[in-house]
Amino acid sequence: MLALLSATTLVLVAGVPWMLPAAAGGTNLKSPQNVEVYIIDDTFILRWNRSNPSVRNVTFSADYQILENGAWLQLPGCQSVASTECNFSSVKLNVYEEIKLRIRAEEGNNTSPWRYVDSFTLFEKAQIGPPKVHLEAEDKAIIVNISPPGTKDGGMWASDSSGFIYSLDIWKNSSSGERKTKTVYSRDKIYELSPETTYCLKVRARLLPRKTGAYSPVYCIKTAVENKLPPPENIQVEAKNQTYILKWDYAQENVTFYAQWLHAYLKKIPGDNSGKWKQIPNCKNVRTTQCVFPKNTFHKGIYLIRVRASDGNTTSVWSHEEKFDTQLQITLFPPVITMKPTNNASLRVYISAPGESENKPVNHLYPLIYEIVFWENTSNAERKILEKRTDFTFPQLKPLTVYCVKARALIQDERWNKSSVFSDIVCEKTKPGNTSKTWLIAGVCAALFSIPVVIYVMKLLFRCISYVFFPSSKPPSTIDEYFSEQPLRNLLLFTSEELTERCFIIENTNTITAVEETNQTDGEHKKYSSQTSQDSGNYSNEDESTGSKFSEEFLHQETE
Amino acid sequence: MSTKPDVIRKCLWPACLVGLLITGILSLDCNLLHFHLRKVTWQNLRLLSSTSSSFPAECLSETKAFELPQEILSHTQPVKRYIKEAFYEMSIQAFNIFSQYTLKSTWESDYLKQIQIGLDQQLQYLEQCLEEEEQEKEDWKEMTEDGMNWSGALVPQLSSLELRRYFNRIDNFLKEKRYSHCAWEIIRAEIRRCFYYFQKFAARLRKK
Repeated sequence: MLALLSATTLVLVAGVPWMLPAAAGGTNLKSPQNVEVYIIDDTFILRWNRSNPSVRNVTFSADYQILENGAWLQLPGCQSVASTECNFSSVKLNVYEEIKLRIRAEEGNNTSPWRYVDSFTLFEKAQIGPPKVHLEAEDKAIIVNISPPGTKDGGMWASDSSGFIYSLDIWKNSSSGERKTKTVYSRDKIYELSPETTYCLKVRARLLPRKTGAYSPVYCIKTAVENKLPPPENIQVEAKNQTYILKWDYAQENVTFYAQWLHAYLKKIPGDNSGKWKQIPNCKNVRTTQCVFPKNTFHKGIYLIRVRASDGNTTSVWSHEEKFDTQLQITLFPPVITMKPTNNASLRVYISAPGESENKPVNHLYPLIYEIVFWENTSNAERKILEKRTDFTFPQLKPLTVYCVKARALIQDERWNKSSVFSDIVCEKTKPGNTSKTWLIAGVCAALFSIPVVIYVMKLLFRCISYVFFPSSKPPSTIDEYFSEQPLRNLLLFTSEELTERCFIIENTNTITAVEETNQTDGEHKKYSSQTSQDSGNYSNEDESTGSKFSEEFLHQETE
Repeated sequence: MSTKPDVIRKCLWPACLVGLLITGILSLDCNLLHFHLRKVTWQNLRLLSSTSSSFPAECLSETKAFELPQEILSHTQPVKRYIKEAFYEMSIQAFNIFSQYTLKSTWESDYLKQIQIGLDQQLQYLEQCLEEEEQEKEDWKEMTEDGMNWSGALVPQLSSLELRRYFNRIDNFLKEKRYSHCAWEIIRAEIRRCFYYFQKFAARLRKK
């Protein structure tokens, strides 16, 4: 007992000095918690939480490792830091390289175990910072000049200089402040604003597909007084044969116009493009609100077109830059229709592109649907249908009628609103309805087949009726089998028809013998009946009943 | 040391094959734009392969392995949007290379301009399609209350990263070689090979 006590005290005493240093945080520093990497543009920050809050003089150090190499290097800017975050932006790393980080707490000679951060690339964790915005008011519009986030020439977004897409939120500073969001180029102009109004806006950069950046601070600017000459509006380009027709709207008269074009791709490249606009031929100092220029001015590609007006003294500002894609200028030709009447009073329609036979498939450059107008030649009622197929049938029409059809091609997407002119009208007469013929034949056959059936049914009916109302006096034919003898047959057969004489049975010991006797006597009766026909009349009723009784008894005996 | 730059064969593989997949798969979405996108990408590829001069022999020794990201190609059932995104990524990176170094390029400026125009068209179509889809997704997200499963988002990000690394290697190569004539020729040969594969693959895709 005493030994036990002493042993436990010894253990306790021995253990305390061992435990105390731990409580003091000597060799058992805990590694930092919740380590996170936070990157905006070219600023790389490492953050963590302390896990030894009571201990003072704890510093933290971090290392990094490029996954392929394996060696742990010191993370610059993160050696022996006292706070819970450090900036390691000076590390020379490829932003697409996979790296791993580790961090530990230190206090004097004691270090905590390393806390590791899962491998990552700087790029994937990077967030897009706010872009720099410069504004200028011009007439009723605002010119925006956006500089991409990050540092120029290198850094995180080195390979994205052309890839940023900017979203701009704009609203009126006053009252309601309804916000509009637009996608703008780095150098762009916002139109359709009211003059002499203060607008506020903020911009953020995006990288497709998935990175969206932070908003810039809000900038406000007041639009200027409206210029005497407004810029032209509603610029459109139409294709016609070998030329393009550029049209626009303008309210005032006595002005000349000047149109320019620019390759659209230049807008993606950062830099000033103002010197790169070129004049559209035949579109300088034109007095009309349109100009015609040859198609070969524009090779394949996307272009931007702008127009301005001038009345000699003043010039308007440039209009909105209209995008023009040469490949989206589609000329739809009217389709060619052929119709064939088919059996069953239907019309089969074939649609083909001009210049192709009806058997070849239509060469689809664009997904076309056809609007088909269909009417009877004599009436005016038109039926319009939209059909995607080029080979279809109008079923169940009126036979021997002339129907007419015309069609035009449409682009499948309604947004495009492009259609060809209507094709020539094609008329065809339908064949006589095969259906009526078929019905006729069917009817005739049915009638033919039904006649014997009807006759048979009538016969049965008649038999039934005659059986019920006019019963036959003939006994069933099975009796014939058993009675081939004539007299017996006569007896049986004539029981109901002939009047028989009454017979007195003297002896009735044996019914059979009695029957035989009566048979014989019946036979004699017959002889007598002809002679004594007068008397027989009195007894005929009784005889009838007895006669029938006899036949019944006989039959019963036979059947036993 | 292989004389045939088969290491270059791997170069721009993602450009080729992703483009191939696009031609077949994009035809199902984005309304009409995919028609034009297909046409435009085809034109671009033909344009890039139209150079007639042969590869100069003195540049063979400078060839380098750019290591195509194989993971992109190994996806047996690529999701349409993922393909579009990867294709966009490739297009914008290629556009970047061609536009950054216009002054340092040894190609004719007109030719380079054509490439840029073509790539820009491609990019604009893709941008429109992706924006539309983004909008649809946003609307759909608003409609569905429960949280979306974003695990699928990791896959495209990986391929986007791989593509960026790959173009980064090309970029570094050009920088190292100081935009020499040989460096550009190596890139040009690579692109030409890309077209060859593109054609073959596109043909197979269209059969489906």
